[in-house]
Amino acid sequence: MSEQPPPAAVPEAEQPHRADGTGVLDARGVSKVFGGLVAVSDVDFIVPEKGIVSLIGPNGAGKTTFFNCLTGLYKPTTGRVMFLGSDLTGKRPDIITTAGIARTFQNIKLFRTMTAIENVQVGMHSRLRSRVTGMLLRTPFNRREEKESYRRAREQLDFVGLRRHGELAMNLPYGDQRRLEIARALASEPKLLLLDEPTAGMNAQESEELRRLMERLRTERGMSVLLIEHDMKVVMNVSDHITVLDHGEKIAEGSPKEVRENPRVVEAYLGSQA
Amino acid sequence: MEAASIPETPSGARQPSRSPLTVVSDNILWILLAVALVVYFVQDPKQTLDDVKTGLSNGTIWALIALGYTLVYGIIELINFAHGEVFMIGSFVAVSLWQSLGVTADNAIVGIVLAILLALVASMLASGVLNVMIERVAYKPLRNAPKLAPLITAIGMSFILQNVGLLWRPTPDSSPDLIGSQKDYFTVFGVAIEHSDVFAFVVTVPLLIALVWFVGQTRYGKAMRATAQDPDAARLMGINVDRTISLTFLLGGLLAGAAGVIYALYNGTIQFNQGFTAGLIAFTAAVMGGIGNLKGAVVGGLIIGVIQSISDTHFGQVWTPAVVFAILILIMVFKPQGLFGEETREG
Amino acid sequence: MSTAAATWRSSTASLRRVPDWAWAVFFVALAILYPYILDQLMTAPDDLLDASIQTLGYIIMALGLNIVVGFAGLLDLGYVAFYAIGAFVIGWLGSQQFPNVNGGKGIHILTPVESAFGRAFPGIHINYFIVIFIAAIFTAFWGAILGAPTLRLRGDYLAIVTLAFGEIVPRVFENATSGIFGIGSTDFSNGRQGITPIDKINFPWTDKAFNYPLELKPVYYVGLGMVLFVIFFNRRLRDSRLGRAWIAVREDEVAAAAMGVNLVRTKLWAYAIGAALGGFSGVFLATYNNTVNVDQFEFGFSVFILAMVIIGGMGNIWGVILGAIALSIFNRYGLKQLNGVPDTVGLDFDVTSINFGIFGFFLLAMMVLRPEGFLPSSRRRLELHEVEFDESPDHLGTETGDAQLYEVRHE
Repeated sequence: MSEQPPPAAVPEAEQPHRADGTGVLDARGVSKVFGGLVAVSDVDFIVPEKGIVSLIGPNGAGKTTFFNCLTGLYKPTTGRVMFLGSDLTGKRPDIITTAGIARTFQNIKLFRTMTAIENVQVGMHSRLRSRVTGMLLRTPFNRREEKESYRRAREQLDFVGLRRHGELAMNLPYGDQRRLEIARALASEPKLLLLDEPTAGMNAQESEELRRLMERLRTERGMSVLLIEHDMKVVMNVSDHITVLDHGEKIAEGSPKEVRENPRVVEAYLGSQA
Repeated sequence: MEAASIPETPSGARQPSRSPLTVVSDNILWILLAVALVVYFVQDPKQTLDDVKTGLSNGTIWALIALGYTLVYGIIELINFAHGEVFMIGSFVAVSLWQSLGVTADNAIVGIVLAILLALVASMLASGVLNVMIERVAYKPLRNAPKLAPLITAIGMSFILQNVGLLWRPTPDSSPDLIGSQKDYFTVFGVAIEHSDVFAFVVTVPLLIALVWFVGQTRYGKAMRATAQDPDAARLMGINVDRTISLTFLLGGLLAGAAGVIYALYNGTIQFNQGFTAGLIAFTAAVMGGIGNLKGAVVGGLIIGVIQSISDTHFGQVWTPAVVFAILILIMVFKPQGLFGEETREG
Repeated sequence: MSTAAATWRSSTASLRRVPDWAWAVFFVALAILYPYILDQLMTAPDDLLDASIQTLGYIIMALGLNIVVGFAGLLDLGYVAFYAIGAFVIGWLGSQQFPNVNGGKGIHILTPVESAFGRAFPGIHINYFIVIFIAAIFTAFWGAILGAPTLRLRGDYLAIVTLAFGEIVPRVFENATSGIFGIGSTDFSNGRQGITPIDKINFPWTDKAFNYPLELKPVYYVGLGMVLFVIFFNRRLRDSRLGRAWIAVREDEVAAAAMGVNLVRTKLWAYAIGAALGGFSGVFLATYNNTVNVDQFEFGFSVFILAMVIIGGMGNIWGVILGAIALSIFNRYGLKQLNGVPDTVGLDFDVTSINFGIFGFFLLAMMVLRPEGFLPSSRRRLELHEVEFDESPDHLGTETGDAQLYEVRHE
């Protein structure tokens, strides 16, 4: 089991950014060790309510590993992850999703032989309440819920701009697949959305669409977004706050301007594509 | 050769500190087995020693077959479902050879020894070649398919071969008792060591030595180990991966053929479906030792043999297969890396 | 798009405009009229009708295994265990296996208390239509129990463990002739002789029992009713939250968990419901065959049912039904047809004794040539939109490369 150090007492004044109350997500001292390899080392991280924050760093910095610690794919070796007041440290992925954190994956992990709508309906799994008896007997509740889930799935797909609702996920073009990943994550009506390199493979126009989508998530749905991203244009334009990891450690954080001008950050990226 | 579980990352090593409690709970299976053995020994030393002896001799057969499973799994991460039938064919070839030559226990010693050697060569070759053919026909075309596909073809192959066995010998057949298997050579601690026990070891030990030498010292053995670790890297080093895989199947088949000869003389009776149960038992042995680990296959085989004879004595022969299968399930669920496999799951 | 796919699509285009429910009505009507059609077509229809009745039992089993293997992607090689459990349930609750119950007078629930000659029936006798549900629930319970240890296992390991269970269960029954694991002294299975006879089916509102094997039609209709019942609920599950969760788990466990799917619960439901159908059908087959005998429960049977699921295209309900029919009929008749062949080739053995060798060859050929089955579940996708017909075998449950990197947690 992971050891739980007492949460670091960080005075309010020293918070690197101004939060609306406490953050929706509050990760303290998170580390992940694989045998001899320290992938993530003592990272503190806060995501404010309705905030869009980014996590950047050169390849292999531990960003996705950190994500996985937040979403339950990995149990953190140390540290604590608090979300909306609940302790989610080391909980199973489906519990974390039910609590209100959803994510997309760096390598698209759609359910390939299901249609776009069905993919999104799976995303709703934790929000649907039908029991097995209800499914077998097609009770009125079940029927209503299925119709409703279908309608809401279409809504999510429209929201992300995906038009081919009945298409098999594997037959969608790349851009649509990325959109579907997001729609599927949105289906669980999360308070916090984690996007793992969502603009990979996108052109400038598509990246801009995504940026606007994230703003809409914030304004229309009151969600917070946490982003791992390599496209610096998107990062600088959309983020309230940026955290930089290198070799598993936090080496800088601040507003886009501060991070851009931070010499340690520049140094970390030297030699790697930004 | 790596164990096959879901590794958390490629490195997959353990965390440094392990309390004594975790060590015990990790190895609870082996501890229980050892405790049971000690208890039985205390209750009836002579019977237990006798069981152990029988078990070890039986175990050589399982060890040889288990090596075939482990070699193949180590190199292509696939359970060769038809391996039991390869063993069965080995038995059949040997007995047919002896029957057609008209060899019996009454022949001169020299003749008998020659006949046995001949049978060993014939069975090992037959089983070896058969195993290679199985790979070519049933596994090679499906190397990139999901795991379900080669498993089904393996089952199909197993059925085909069982049917071949059935046509060859519709009823169980007896092997000529060329080694006078029940006669005692000597006694150790009051336990009678019979001809068959000696024979089992006399055949198995040189084969194991040869195998260890081959895998450890020769170029081909190195190629096998390299391919088992990383087929792509091996290919880049100029190793012919296809041929190395065929070679691995050949070795596995050779050992299964030898096991078939031992079984025929040790057991006295052969039949077309002996491979199915033998295969499962030997597979349990391979898993117990850590699938992919050669040393483990041998140790596992011997342990399973002992477990079987103890179970025969104390639970009755009817329950022994269930006992072995239950152990298989317990190992695969709680300790899939077996005795010597790599620890790959997060504690 | 390949030309073969294009021609296939255009030639069946008119067929596909017929709505689904019309096809369903057509086939159900056909199934209902089937025994009478046979009467018209053949002078001795009973043999084929008998084979058809067995087939009905296999269809239910194939649909059950389809849930485990086809929907949820859990490779189960031990399905015969559930057949055995269901069969023994009717062996206990519908025969004279326990003669000392109730002081020798037996327990009778909605079954005849006396024979036609006025003799009492000792033993437990519960009406067939109640037992099928008792068996389904009992087997579902065991499905979950046997499935629980396997949840973390991967493909081939899972297969072997389920196989081992499939071997253990019949052996436990076989040896439970005086108590179970040495507890008690009841004979649960009558050893290798098996339990026979099994009560004939009777409708709960009458004492009059069915009269098979002389009159097959009533049994056929009971079987058909059970099949339709199962199909009905199967389709509902497939198009439900649980059905989608199963397919998600089959496709990508990691992503499914990230979407909020509880892996443990989802898989256990698959095992439970799949097993329940095995038990459900097990009662039917045991009753029809009038015997419960451990020799009926062999590994080959698990493979037989699995083959039906595979050739039907995993996950596709209609495909699986067709696969069950095809394999069952071939198993019964196809080999007899082949019996003519050896003479012309100059061989002189009895082809029926190479039954499972041919079956093995068929498995081999099928996986090498067309592993996705003949009616893969993508068929129903064609109704929605244009799609490429050539399917890669990927949807047979590939582990994606990065599944290796994430521990797939089952807690």
